[in-house]
Amino acid sequence: MSQLNGNNILIALSDSMAAAVEKAGAATVLVDGRRRLPSSGIAFTSDLILTANHTLEREEDIPVILPDGTQLAAQLAGRDPGSDLAVLRLGKPSAAAAERVSGDARIGQLALALGRPSPEGIQASLGVVSAIGGPLRAGRGGLLERYIRTDAIPYPGFSGGPLVDSAGRVLGMNTSGLVRGASLAIPVGLAWQIAESLAEHGSVRRGYLGVRSQPVELPSVQQQALGRQQETGLLLVGVERGSPAEAGGLMVGDILTGIAGAPVGDPDELLARLVGDLVGKPTPVEVLRGGQLATVTVTIGERK
Amino acid sequence: MMYPDPDLSDSISAALAAVFGRARRSLVVVHNGRFGAGAGVVWRAGGVIVTNYHVIHRGRPRLTLLAGGRREFPARVIAEAPEIDLALLQAERPADYASDFPPAPVADSHGLRVGQIALAIGHPWGQLGAVSVGVICGISRVPVRGPRGSVDVIRSDVRLAPGNSGGPLMNASGGVIGINTMIVGGDLGIAIPSHVVEHFVEESLGEMLRV
Repeated sequence: MSQLNGNNILIALSDSMAAAVEKAGAATVLVDGRRRLPSSGIAFTSDLILTANHTLEREEDIPVILPDGTQLAAQLAGRDPGSDLAVLRLGKPSAAAAERVSGDARIGQLALALGRPSPEGIQASLGVVSAIGGPLRAGRGGLLERYIRTDAIPYPGFSGGPLVDSAGRVLGMNTSGLVRGASLAIPVGLAWQIAESLAEHGSVRRGYLGVRSQPVELPSVQQQALGRQQETGLLLVGVERGSPAEAGGLMVGDILTGIAGAPVGDPDELLARLVGDLVGKPTPVEVLRGGQLATVTVTIGERK
Repeated sequence: MMYPDPDLSDSISAALAAVFGRARRSLVVVHNGRFGAGAGVVWRAGGVIVTNYHVIHRGRPRLTLLAGGRREFPARVIAEAPEIDLALLQAERPADYASDFPPAPVADSHGLRVGQIALAIGHPWGQLGAVSVGVICGISRVPVRGPRGSVDVIRSDVRLAPGNSGGPLMNASGGVIGINTMIVGGDLGIAIPSHVVEHFVEESLGEMLRV
């Protein structure tokens, strides 16, 4: 590659971006689930399509058009308004599965937003990863741990399509349905995790503790008791009767500082931790009780 | 693999500057008095210039040579195709163009790929010779009036504004792949592909020869 000079370098970049679009475009499908313009979807396995929940106005026989033009009727496998993700089942292996990045998106890296709102072919726009943020409260108890912001233009019908790197690997799923007037991408790690849960259970399982809390500062003596630097914890100001928290022995006045081995310093962090695998499982909850570190075991309930 | 190559960004910048430098030499400003201004591309030697029909359909266009000392030339409209928004101009003093203005290198616009680099140069909001970089977003076929029935158009995410009309959309080698013609929804650029332009030019010049 070091031999490239002059215009060749620009041509090589151009060719490589076109190849990235071709590769990721082979896993990007048209989803015709609403009255106006169709949206897009990502084949994350050969028979499961990830798309944007807000673009689905019905649940059965949703027309999906594959890159080769094949039209199928997909069924809704699960949807999660909180993260604006939905999973469609094609019924048989029909699509080329997308390749995802292995690590995290990097601010400043090239990013292509892809969409297939028309049977005429794949569409793309170029930008960079502008920012990585989160957590984002997304309504209905939903909380998006992290999101990607890009300056690639989200053309109409791009919701549900992938944001990919310059090698055509998926960085995230684009949606304009989480924040009014802004297009965000849900990072692929998070999106795939939620998608798997949707495919398996039909919904995202959100954990339920049964406490009311408020963040408080931890004085240095309490940080010493914790054995780490952590500036805030959650003071429990209420424990619901009959809740998993009560059953596990949490008490008003406890300062919750961690759950399942991860520190918790504010309500968003707690909400983010209470998703998925923890539900229904005995889980160690770390508290400061009377200035002493204690660990109680709580079987996390499921929020209905 | 030699990546990451510390000189890579420099090489890309230098290549872009070279492509745009070349493109300026074949770019004109089409002034049309109170009807505004647009861009145009020297398509044939001897001062034959392509621009958009909507840039010249009213008023009396005059040309400025962007890279030619800002001299103004009267221009004559020699062909129009309103249905695909193209017009062909002849500069009134072709001798000057022959030396000052080389025709732009025209690339084949068949087989364009979504995601490939697209470069634009024009006069957005009157800023002469301003450039921007993007990619091809898609290719669609749109119905048009007249015997053509329908034509391909290039969609690009290149940032365009009034004043880009009639200017070139180029590939990474600087070859003209289309004429920037329209902006949809504020952020989608529509270009007429160069194979459609070339066909229009050939047809128009051919008819003139037969007269």
